[in-house]
Amino acid sequence: MDDRTLLSRRHVLKAMAAAGVIAAGDLAWWEEPLLRPRRAWGAAPVRFQFSVPEPKRNVLVESLVQRFNQAQKDFEVKVEFVPQAQARQKLITSITAGSPPDCCQVWDNWVGEFEGMGALEDLTPKVKDWKHYGDVLPIAWQTVTIKNKIASLPWVVTNDGVYYRTDRLKEYGLKAPKDDWTFDDFLALSKAFTKVDKNQYGFGMRGQGTWAVLYATEFMYANGAQVLKDGKVVINSKEAAEALDWYLDLFRKHKVCPPSVPTDGWRGIVEGFGRGVTNTYIHNSGSAEEQKGFVGEKNFSTVPLPLGPAKKRASFYFSETLTAFNKGKNREGAWRFMSWLMEDEPNLMYTKGLGLLPARKSLFERPEFMKDPAYEGFIHSFPFSIVSPYLAYAGWGGKIDSEGVPLFQQALVGKATAKEFLDKFAEVLTKNMS
Amino acid sequence: MATGATLAAPVARPLFSRRARELLTGYLYLLPVAVVLGGTVLFPILKAMHMSLYNHVLIKPQDYRYVGLANYLRLLHDEVFWLSLWNSFYWVFGSVSFQFLGGFAAALLLHQSFRGRALVRTITLLPWIIPGVVVALIWEFIYQPNYGLLNDVLSRAGWMTERVAWLSSPALAMPAVIVANIWRGVPFFAIMLLAGLQAIPTELYEAARVDGASVIQRFRYITLPMLRPIVVVATATRIVWTFNYADLIFVMTSGGPANATQITSTYTLLQAYSNLDFGYAATLSVALLLIMLGFTVFYLRITRGLESVA
Repeated sequence: MDDRTLLSRRHVLKAMAAAGVIAAGDLAWWEEPLLRPRRAWGAAPVRFQFSVPEPKRNVLVESLVQRFNQAQKDFEVKVEFVPQAQARQKLITSITAGSPPDCCQVWDNWVGEFEGMGALEDLTPKVKDWKHYGDVLPIAWQTVTIKNKIASLPWVVTNDGVYYRTDRLKEYGLKAPKDDWTFDDFLALSKAFTKVDKNQYGFGMRGQGTWAVLYATEFMYANGAQVLKDGKVVINSKEAAEALDWYLDLFRKHKVCPPSVPTDGWRGIVEGFGRGVTNTYIHNSGSAEEQKGFVGEKNFSTVPLPLGPAKKRASFYFSETLTAFNKGKNREGAWRFMSWLMEDEPNLMYTKGLGLLPARKSLFERPEFMKDPAYEGFIHSFPFSIVSPYLAYAGWGGKIDSEGVPLFQQALVGKATAKEFLDKFAEVLTKNMS
Repeated sequence: MATGATLAAPVARPLFSRRARELLTGYLYLLPVAVVLGGTVLFPILKAMHMSLYNHVLIKPQDYRYVGLANYLRLLHDEVFWLSLWNSFYWVFGSVSFQFLGGFAAALLLHQSFRGRALVRTITLLPWIIPGVVVALIWEFIYQPNYGLLNDVLSRAGWMTERVAWLSSPALAMPAVIVANIWRGVPFFAIMLLAGLQAIPTELYEAARVDGASVIQRFRYITLPMLRPIVVVATATRIVWTFNYADLIFVMTSGGPANATQITSTYTLLQAYSNLDFGYAATLSVALLLIMLGFTVFYLRITRGLESVA
């Protein structure tokens, strides 16, 4: 055998040493190896956490991220999908562990908690210089401004309105609710829509999850109640108790709601309407596109929440935010990606696909939103929309769900009066004003 | 001529005596298990005890501090904790007693020889094989008041005029989740008791038959006493498991409505993952551990001797 074709031990050792040196050099650039072409900003990829409430969004977001990555070569965006139920915990634990993603998509009611943890990147200077700053609705900025600092970009916005079945209105010879309808009209329609023998109910009330309390609060606001006044919690006022009693009686006394109400969360009310069990329900515009598939585009419409005895009303306005963290590894890249998502095409692609509304006026005023009956109720609610009063304190976020909802359910099933619930709830809120 | 005497080299005395070396070797063999158990069982328990002495709310890192027994005092005054504890006992004893009865009946049936026994055995095992979360989703659909299976069947049969909200009524929610849990747990007892039945020597039954013992007498004086050790161990295990089992309730009702199905383990989860109050959640875990320890000691004491009857 020709010795020249054999590797000596020395050769092998030399080759191993050389490989070791190269590998060691590469380790220092773990996330962007030295041997590959480097990218700007230290070449760190942007980690984007997306909380998924429905599988449909995965494809949409994947496609947006892919478009962004193809449009520029400076860095890569890596999306991390987390089920919505775990998203808040995951973000908070990653902040605590000192390794949050660069940016994330979350509802505005979580942002206060992150701010309280000192984890947010202050976007104020960047936002003020941003070309679309003036185009974003002022109320949308309110949802993401904490202690005079802009903490996030309002990716999409929405408010609450009432969905109702137009085909069943015709079937039962009923008149469509008008924008200025009242509590009495609401009750009358709910009664007329209730046909127990057909397993149909007038109103799909929500009994589980944070928004069960928030929808009830909107009815309290319609009677002149408030959550906070002069820095004090006043949600247990007489006006609030009266309105809540009226609201709860829809289920307790008038029986215009399905029996599943105490455990009906977001999925329950949307599916109840979609399956034809309920003929009205309150939700944001986020289920409009879904209902087009369920009951058909021509068979439903939306209308603002009814006027209360105090001739007032409120629709809580909130936003799905793009939020960046100050411990992110590529903060500049995160800003570039987030602001790109606010551009015309990606923003329309996201909002139209999900039934949410753009935060930018120039997009929001386009005919596909303004002329669609499925969005009518939400757009007509803008004049009296307010930022949810429960965003006032970060400490309220988790407490509404863990303590407020069980108390609300007690009132719902008759184990406590509306006033007893509100007194206890006010106590919970007062204790957690931080 | 005298030759130089060679001295025998002194035998080196071992550092440890033979008995000590044997002991040391034995303990060395045990060391890996001790390390694994210490790391996976003991350390988390000690860590939970440590955490329970701190105000540790993840969203308020600035408030993290040693608070001594403050979390335990809070627990004593926490109405929901006491309610959840009561619910836990209702849940555990409601579930385990019927699981046992159902499992025993299934084991007796499966112990008989009949055509298709293998198929029946497989079907009996199914609920145990299905993951807890899937079981919860199946039963949630069965109980769904508006379009669920149970209400549909009952109304088609003419036995129901008004739809029943099985999981949304505070009075019915707990029995409803217990039924789902019974369905899931029956196979556990069936397998354990079937193994016990198969281990009973047939000679005992033959002798009893020769002596003229009836079926009931054979069951009472042979089957039951011979199964006692398995019954004691299986029941104790199942009680502890059920006490800590949160998946089913968490998915089906989230502890609602109005805390009607809130058991201590779901309440602990709520504190940890909704309020992110890890200090208080750890306190609840320690309380749960102590309650379970107390129960196990009590249970083993009252059943002392029964497990060695066979």
